[in-house]
Amino acid sequence: MKPACPRLFQAEAWRDGRLVGAEIASFERHLTVCHLCSREVQALQALGESLRRPRDGDADADELHVRRERTRLLAAFDAALVPPEQTGGARRWLFGMAAFAMLSAALLLSWRARRVATGAAATSAVIVHADSTASWSTRVEGSVEKVVLERGVLSIHVDHARSHRRLLVVLPDGELEDMGTTFTVSADAGRTTRVTVQDGSVVLRIHGQAAWALSAGDTWSPPIKPTTSACASCEPSPVQPIARERRAPPRSAPASSARSPSPIASALEPDPSIDFRAAMAALDLGENRAAAARFAGFVAKHAGDARAEDASYLRVIALQRAGDADRMKEAVFEYLRRYPTGFRHAEVEALSR
Amino acid sequence: MIARGAKQQPAERDTPQSDAELMLRLASGELSALGELYDRHQVPLRNFIARATRDAEDVDDLVHATFLAAAKSAARYDGRASCRPWLMGIAVRHLRRRRQTFARLMAILSALKGTAASYRDPRPMLNARTDVARALAQLSEAKRLTVLMAEVEGMSCAEIATTLDVPIGTVWTRLHAARRELRQALGQAGEP
Repeated sequence: MKPACPRLFQAEAWRDGRLVGAEIASFERHLTVCHLCSREVQALQALGESLRRPRDGDADADELHVRRERTRLLAAFDAALVPPEQTGGARRWLFGMAAFAMLSAALLLSWRARRVATGAAATSAVIVHADSTASWSTRVEGSVEKVVLERGVLSIHVDHARSHRRLLVVLPDGELEDMGTTFTVSADAGRTTRVTVQDGSVVLRIHGQAAWALSAGDTWSPPIKPTTSACASCEPSPVQPIARERRAPPRSAPASSARSPSPIASALEPDPSIDFRAAMAALDLGENRAAAARFAGFVAKHAGDARAEDASYLRVIALQRAGDADRMKEAVFEYLRRYPTGFRHAEVEALSR
Repeated sequence: MIARGAKQQPAERDTPQSDAELMLRLASGELSALGELYDRHQVPLRNFIARATRDAEDVDDLVHATFLAAAKSAARYDGRASCRPWLMGIAVRHLRRRRQTFARLMAILSALKGTAASYRDPRPMLNARTDVARALAQLSEAKRLTVLMAEVEGMSCAEIATTLDVPIGTVWTRLHAARRELRQALGQAGEP
């Protein structure tokens, strides 16, 4: 067995270009004398030729197929060239769509903001400050804005010049109707515990009790249950004037002392303005029958007040608005009887016809 | 901005342009330059891909994808006199991508069947009609590509290394291993 040539490895190295300079010349000289290395080079050459030899299926595409593929390639490249314009168009289109979407969103937001602003304007006429324990909510039902107080203390300011809605505070045991004012109302354990009016007037209606008209400076607290049932005498009219807390000097007595009807009430005098404002508020709210009743009560209670004639006249108007012709005529006669030379004489007389 | 349309009509050229010049024209969006490149290189590229894949159905798509990718990246051509190695490199990248896609597909199918995944593409072997083709199909793709580039395309080891983005030593190793495996498969005496 012939020993292998130690330079046999150079055959592949020579073929792959791993030999340089003198190594190449030396190996090429060696090939002329070394049978083994020469065979190795020939074997490598034969392997390469076998790999290069065309085989079935290698590249047997005919001319027509090649032309078709060429056309397909050029068409694809042409289509690839177009996209910069198409892409630009698509980008412009997308940009336009995005701009449109942003504009729409902006308009929507603006519209919503306006709606909110409008709503805020409508509701901003009602500013509610609640204490941390307050449980309350607000909702709008038609022309009535309701603030529902379950418990806690709410300080509410209403600017009727900015809102056309009635404000009704729904209390656990009644309701409080605002007449354009600033007031504080508190509730606890399912009942109204205190109403304080800082400005304007409100009408408080507690279930099972007559309405209370509260004006600036008034504080209402639930009456202490009387040991004797003398309450009937306390409710002579649909709207009762409320006991007023004296502001000055500051009261050292607890607020509950205001609940005692007799000592506080005795210290207070009825305020015709409260009754008049309550009646006017009812008229403004369209509660014409109630307004007529309140104006009648005002005239009866404050006959000497300068606004008695106005109240008598407004009672006629309220009844006319209520469509109660019979009672309106009675009111007309009452006005003409009381104020034969009244400022509204001619006008009221005309209503009687 | 890519300008469209030929700046110079082919009829006006007396001497054939180099690949580098064609690539420049191609980079400027000339369709005719791509046609000339295709005419010039499609046969060796087709043969290379056909030998590498042994899947005639893939050849057309791979050739198409290679030339299209080359045309789109013509502006990045390095200016070599012949763009064939460059085209080979693009073809190799497409081949690898195709193999990876095939491997993923096989993995999914294997997972669905509950069998072990086989990442070896059987198509080269199935389509091999000669001993050489079968021997070539038995090589790994890396070795197959390397030996085809060296022996069929006549690329230097340095060019192969650049094209495959591997060290030249790796090319030598792959070449040596590929030849040994081919000779064993073909029954050639590897050693005297």
